Amino acid sequence: MKYIKNHLMFILPLMAILLGIEFYLVFDRTTDTYEKGLQEGYSMLVVTKEPMQIDAFRVLNRHISKSESIERERIVSKIAKGVTKEGEAKILKSLPYFYNVHLDEYISTEELIGLKEDLEASPLIKKVETFGSNYESNYRLFSFIKFTLKIFIGFMTVVSLFLIMKQMEIWKYAHKERMQIMEIFGAPLMLRSGVLFKVAIVDAIAATLIVSSIFLYLKFQWAANSGIEIMVQNKDFLFRITDIAVLLAAALLIVIISVYSVVYSTKGVQE
Amino acid sequence: MSNVINASNLTLTYDNGRKEVITDVNFTVKKGEFVFITGPSGSGKSTLLKSLYGRIRPTSGNLVVGGVDLAHVKPSKLQELRTHMGIIFQDFKLVNEWTVAKNVVLPLMIAGYSLDVQNTQAHRLLKHVKLSEHAEKYPLELSGGEQQRVGVARALAKNPVLILADEPTGNLDDYSSNVIWDLMENACQQLETTVLVVTHKIPQVFSLPYRHFIIEGKGVYEVH
Repeated sequence: MKYIKNHLMFILPLMAILLGIEFYLVFDRTTDTYEKGLQEGYSMLVVTKEPMQIDAFRVLNRHISKSESIERERIVSKIAKGVTKEGEAKILKSLPYFYNVHLDEYISTEELIGLKEDLEASPLIKKVETFGSNYESNYRLFSFIKFTLKIFIGFMTVVSLFLIMKQMEIWKYAHKERMQIMEIFGAPLMLRSGVLFKVAIVDAIAATLIVSSIFLYLKFQWAANSGIEIMVQNKDFLFRITDIAVLLAAALLIVIISVYSVVYSTKGVQE
Repeated sequence: MSNVINASNLTLTYDNGRKEVITDVNFTVKKGEFVFITGPSGSGKSTLLKSLYGRIRPTSGNLVVGGVDLAHVKPSKLQELRTHMGIIFQDFKLVNEWTVAKNVVLPLMIAGYSLDVQNTQAHRLLKHVKLSEHAEKYPLELSGGEQQRVGVARALAKNPVLILADEPTGNLDDYSSNVIWDLMENACQQLETTVLVVTHKIPQVFSLPYRHFIIEGKGVYEVH
């Protein structure tokens, strides 16, 4: 019972950290797709005095990825109904050039303002319409969700690290005497701390497997059978096989740091 | 005979160098000698013993044990030196979660001997200290005298060059004390192991010739 308790006291906080990491990975993948959607669906309107190619736009700001020219003839035909051919030609001549400009990523509102300023600084550009308020509300909501989740994950990680440190104190007292006796008789560091490393590595593997199993269940059972369209569509984001490596590496890193902290704090014989 | 311990102008301090325990002392101990160090409480007996296995570094002077200069020794060299020593403590310092047999073969485990060798040696050593029937017990199931016999068996496990003992009979009754002295005398006589014992009282019944140093007023003097 004591043996199981000792392991659980280490595995549970480690699991909390791994859950935090996996949640972050899932969220990052999901928001990446969402961000891409927002970015693809967004464009600004740029009015220029002369025709401009994409390279000319890119020189003004690196975030511009694509520009689509809006057919001027179509605009004229819409606004100049009942006007003579000569009149249409005159309107067309005096009409500026219109472009839908797309961005390479979902940039912040501040960056969007900067981009607008960059474009407006060009003598060739007459007007820039960024549809900023719509963009800003999307961006703020998105940033808020991202920020809250990061805070939650960060908080969970800090609390779990404290629990792990507490458990390390217990390990320290449980193993201190044995390690010090071994040190007196000349045992090298790795031999003295071998037991601790074994226990910690087993716990790291156990925590990784449990967390991976939870997410595999969520992916293949819960999400797949939930009947919620968005879940079914995005179930691939829930867990990827490479996540096991990420989780295991994180768990091993945490346990190795923890064990070394115990080993070094028990150095030196006390008689 | 070669010197196993060579102290010259040795000064030892503790409390970060603030308190001097031993000042500018010189002494040597040869291979196969049995040495007692006595002195009043707080005179620095244990400090001197700790310096012999590298727990405390000399503040000044030289201290060479088994050919290793303990004033300038690297941790890896100190580890190696300790594998050639057997150390016996007043409070036994046994690993209570390990069986008696496992405690006894600790030096062999550290030296990387196979499990077969460890088992054979555990059997031999426990027979030597008359604890064969307790091999699978845990230290806390034994009496103080029996625990110290386990400590002696552990100290002898690797036929050490030097045995250091800090008040080995300090917590034991007369009968158990005599058993411990016998075991250490045998080790010195049969294996030519150098034995250095820090004690407040030299045993009355002791058959081997021995040297006696006394620590007094920060100095170490040989009693003839």
